[in-house]
Amino acid sequence: MTAPAAPAPSQKQSRFMRKALPYFLSLPALLMCIGILIPFITAVYYSMLRFRLNLPAMKGFIWFQNYIGFFTDPKFWNTLKISLIYAILTVVVELLLGLLIAILLQKRTWLNNSLSIVLLLPLMTAPALAALMWKLMTNPNFGILSYFVSLLGFPDMKWGSDPSTALFTVTLVDVWVYTPFMMILLLAGLRSLPPAPFEAAALDGVPRSFVFFRITLPMLMPYILTATLFRLLDSIQQFDIIYAMTQGGPGDTLLVFQVQAYLDFFQATNVGRSAALMIILWAITYALSNVFIKQWLKLREKAHGVA
Amino acid sequence: MDHTSTLEKIIRGVLLTLVVIFFMFPIFWIFLMSFQTNESILRIPPSLAFTPTFDNYFALVTGEMRTAAGSLKIEFMRNLWNSVLLSTISVALSLVLGIPAAYAFARFKFKLGEDIAFTLLSFRFAPPLLVLLPLSLYFKTLGLTNTYIGLIWVYQLICLPLILWIVRGYFEDLSPDIEHAHRIAGYGWFATFWKIALPLARPGIAAAGLLAFIFAWNNFVFALVLASADKQPVTVGALAFVTASGIQYGQIAAAIVLSVLPTFVLALFAQRYLVEGLSLGAVKG
Amino acid sequence: MSQLSLRNLSKSYGAFTVFDGLNLEADAGEIIVVFGGSGTGKTILLRLIAGVEDQTSGTVELNGEDMTDVPPERRNVGMAFQNFALFPHMSARENIAAPLRAKSASESALNAGIDRVSKLLKIDRVLGHAPRELSNGQKQRTSLARALAAEPKFLLLDDPLRNVDAKLRYEMRLELPRLLRQSGATVLYVTQDYKEAMALADRIAVLQGGKFVQVATPQDIYEKPATLQVARLFGDPVINTLDVTLQAQGKGAAADVAGYKISIPGNVQSHVSKTVVLAMRPDAVTLNTSKSGVKATVMAITPLNERTVLLLQAENGWEFLASLSAAAETPKAGSTVTAHFESSDIHLFDKETGERLHG
Repeated sequence: MTAPAAPAPSQKQSRFMRKALPYFLSLPALLMCIGILIPFITAVYYSMLRFRLNLPAMKGFIWFQNYIGFFTDPKFWNTLKISLIYAILTVVVELLLGLLIAILLQKRTWLNNSLSIVLLLPLMTAPALAALMWKLMTNPNFGILSYFVSLLGFPDMKWGSDPSTALFTVTLVDVWVYTPFMMILLLAGLRSLPPAPFEAAALDGVPRSFVFFRITLPMLMPYILTATLFRLLDSIQQFDIIYAMTQGGPGDTLLVFQVQAYLDFFQATNVGRSAALMIILWAITYALSNVFIKQWLKLREKAHGVA
Repeated sequence: MDHTSTLEKIIRGVLLTLVVIFFMFPIFWIFLMSFQTNESILRIPPSLAFTPTFDNYFALVTGEMRTAAGSLKIEFMRNLWNSVLLSTISVALSLVLGIPAAYAFARFKFKLGEDIAFTLLSFRFAPPLLVLLPLSLYFKTLGLTNTYIGLIWVYQLICLPLILWIVRGYFEDLSPDIEHAHRIAGYGWFATFWKIALPLARPGIAAAGLLAFIFAWNNFVFALVLASADKQPVTVGALAFVTASGIQYGQIAAAIVLSVLPTFVLALFAQRYLVEGLSLGAVKG
Repeated sequence: MSQLSLRNLSKSYGAFTVFDGLNLEADAGEIIVVFGGSGTGKTILLRLIAGVEDQTSGTVELNGEDMTDVPPERRNVGMAFQNFALFPHMSARENIAAPLRAKSASESALNAGIDRVSKLLKIDRVLGHAPRELSNGQKQRTSLARALAAEPKFLLLDDPLRNVDAKLRYEMRLELPRLLRQSGATVLYVTQDYKEAMALADRIAVLQGGKFVQVATPQDIYEKPATLQVARLFGDPVINTLDVTLQAQGKGAAADVAGYKISIPGNVQSHVSKTVVLAMRPDAVTLNTSKSGVKATVMAITPLNERTVLLLQAENGWEFLASLSAAAETPKAGSTVTAHFESSDIHLFDKETGERLHG
């Protein structure tokens, strides 16, 4: 047997080029990553600085002083408290309301499909603009909602400008914008459930409440978890609605993380404190997003089938 | 198999009506407001009876507002134009960067690939101000403050993860055999990518692009931090406009209507893909 | 020099080995059927040869050239996929045109090429259709046409009849040998249907446990299966087997098959007094001739194609099958018969390894 002839060099393709191809294809996106990682690292560095834009002479490295300072800083605890309350309140209301709407629209009828599309419009509204819309409707002078509640016996409701109703008002806007998100995901989940268990339960005359709590809910759980975590991640970082509605006010009622950090940076020009706040928020979201991504991957695998 | 009782039907009907009122009324009301004069807006009690006027839109489009104190310049059309420009170019850039990467992640199993993909995904969930605040200082040094280029660059934070993960899902759903068949038929990887993978993933690319556009359009905080009035999109512009115009409520409403209209229209086009896009490809609609 | 050779070809995914050290030499124009059950890596083998996947070690040589690092588009192979893998956004015509265009054929050569294969495969009427408008049979023909269009030197066919209905499969089985011959290409044809393998192959390569356990002509595979497994895979109804202990008989050996003493051909003395597996094909059995044989009761009678299959039970309880030609007289169920078979019909396999023990 003769040894195989070496193929013409032109036939061969460099193994290096072949191995490098995927990297080459993702390089532009990779560069984007790096571009964002730099400010991230800077933020970590800033968070360890005494750094006020109005007092450049005082700038200095102070290790974890900014963080340690938070322990005894009631402003910080207020921020943490408000952020958590806001996130949990909005997500719980949105989940319950979204689930209710999804169940109402579960059957694939023309009306239900049309409604599910129309109900998405709030979600397509920029949150900042949504806040503006509600601001117009809750204006104490001419707002239609102010008029309605005055008919109900609350003539002087101040909505966003009253500490006792500010949280309620921004929650209302958040619920208006983001409930459709919950609704559309849970609806997709509901409609993807296999019909067999439900048919069997109907044949056996199992009570509806039992079917809901013992069959529907457990089967829907992956969708509920994904949607809830997704929203929680967004909601704890809410900025647009609160800033556009009240700028964190009145007083310190709505100074959630990002609003506080924004004000620290641009009003108090305290870069160090602002960065430290953001790092803490990042740590929270990072922990949450790890849980979320696991859940999300599971669902994604299911959606695309195991290839 | 319809055992629903009349009572249940009534409850359903009532609940659905309440839901529709809650979610649709604000849009409806602002829409009406945009066709009213300040006088008719300020009436107590509010009323649906009014003579529609296009003055608010006219003032926005011509950029001139007549008030008792005289005439005032409105930059709203400029904001609208900025929104169009920023969103369109950002999405286009994201598609150019994201599609090849999405293809690489879907087709080649390489170690760094998953890392890049997940880093990009984690951007989607990181607090934007974390990056924006240092960036605002960098931008000053780099001369990128208040430039379209700087804004378009940070807009990649919104568009790129979305496009990457949705389009990747579409590529993964394509049978690799189809691409293999094309290679064997005598074409290099690029011809195969261009003639087979891209056209077959087109619905996904279109959906991801539309969604990325909606998200870019609706963004508020990036431009708030990094841009001044002349580069700001509608989201920031409308808010500034409220302060500037004082009590011209009809015009504010008209500005809101003009600002949300594009995303509403696109959403109706993309509705088939909304579920998949909103869940970053985790849920099929 | 052989046209296609696999040398020590191995493929594994992490710790999982698909196959290990495959060797094969195929001559120009030869049709080799790679036969094996599902999950034996037949498809992966074709992918390695086509170059869409990389081997772990070893080489694929086409035309005497080492194909390592040669991309699929430069290997001059045509491949038809089990799932057809048609380009869904192109018409049947454009699908077939793709390999011709890649060769930058002139418009007239292109038309002539499409014309030739589409007439050959009888799809000239549906060329304008998109793949989703084609029946499975038409899809399968289109994918074959695409593989053949550029007249490749090597044709890789991945179970092309798997996803078509029985009638079409039967027709194509008759048609394919002529078609493949005409193409003049060296063919590697993958299937898990033994009849298809027998009908098409010049030689069959039986892939099992990551190895080629036998590479031989269909006749040899049937008559001299290299392992008990191969013997079982080829032939319908399945081959009869019985554990026997060999006894010495003069220079050779003999076995007692349920009371029927039969001498064993070949050089098997070394296995005397060991337990081995004796096998014979159901169609080697004849009933009630004057010759001696196994006394058995007819348990059941089933017609199978043109033959009749009988389930027989020997006095010691051994059950075996006999496949009789239509011409032979069929005994009644419950009756007692004498089942005869010749020494030459006997296959002997090692009890442990399943390997063939005699020539």
